Amino acid sequence: MSDLFNLKNLPTDLKPAVVDLLYRLADDSILIGHRNSEWTGIGPILEEDIAFSSMAQDKMGHAAAYYTLLHELGEQDPDTLAFMRDAHDFRCCQFVALGNIAPDAPAESPDNCNNPTRDRLMAHGDWAISFVRQFLFVQADVVRNSALESSRYDPLASLCRKIRGELRYHTMHAESTLRHLAHGTDDSRDRIKKSFVYLWPYALGLFEATAHDQALADACICPTQADLQREWRARIDPMLADAGLTIDESVQPKFGGRTGKHEQALVDALADMQKVYRLEPTATW
Amino acid sequence: MTDTQWPIFEVFHQQTRGEPHVHVGSVHAVDAETALLMAKEQFARRQACVNIWVVAADDITATPYEDADIFEHGTDKSYREAFGYQTTKRAKAVGDTEEI
Repeated sequence: MSDLFNLKNLPTDLKPAVVDLLYRLADDSILIGHRNSEWTGIGPILEEDIAFSSMAQDKMGHAAAYYTLLHELGEQDPDTLAFMRDAHDFRCCQFVALGNIAPDAPAESPDNCNNPTRDRLMAHGDWAISFVRQFLFVQADVVRNSALESSRYDPLASLCRKIRGELRYHTMHAESTLRHLAHGTDDSRDRIKKSFVYLWPYALGLFEATAHDQALADACICPTQADLQREWRARIDPMLADAGLTIDESVQPKFGGRTGKHEQALVDALADMQKVYRLEPTATW
Repeated sequence: MTDTQWPIFEVFHQQTRGEPHVHVGSVHAVDAETALLMAKEQFARRQACVNIWVVAADDITATPYEDADIFEHGTDKSYREAFGYQTTKRAKAVGDTEEI
């Protein structure tokens, strides 16, 4: 392998590509972390609630670490990046921003004077959607992370080596839970199937090609999205087949997130996630 | 009260290799595989851990509390205790410097 790049010797022409890659990683992490954390306290059973929340916190930690790498490259500080940017500045895929509620859920929710998001989640939340998303996401996350462990951009490679163990647990949890639900009851099978069909076009958005793909691959910083997607499919296809989930190869992927084109779901998620920070951005925590 | 939840698994946690596994609590789970996954997050997310055991609570055979008097020491039996012997002292000295 050629010489590693660090903060000091990263070629100027590669910097925008690395910055874009880090935004994609960070924004995916913070959004899946935020969406999964919405279940904290009302997860399906106590133990799973705690495990799911703990993994959500892991993803928040990964996001903070990626934002720190961005800050080192001259972007704003991590809190500002997480809490002061608007939806069109985010480079996450649309997949991670989706709410934990089926698209055909009733529009009306009871007002329990709690908060509207939580009231709606308690009335219409579908944990099957959250779990199937988590399964598809962590498999992509681990494929991406293991490729980046040998990235030529050394600060990123060493971070990815650090979070390998956490992601290993995320995949163990996801694979075991999918197997149990798929071989569980008619209800559990139907619910993961329904969620899978809804989520699949969005999941493909994880691998939306970007203008920087070839430059990053040529510089040995990150494989192309097409390569990562192939590896992801090689991992998940046998597991999905075992779970009785059939992939519709003809669906149109939900692209747009990587260039800042998002659905209302991201605007809603950010409104909740950024609300407290924006009340008083100069407050010390 | 009837427990309508999944079976209980007792959780044993090992802080470093060579140390004994210590009982730290329990989790509800459908099977041992799930119990391990749940135990990891309930009991090892904040403290050091290298290994976890889970044991189905139903597989544990225990003495009844009504029989607790079998553990009582009726008379002075300090002659049964080993701390007076030289060997014990030597073993302890070794144990303090290296892992047995």
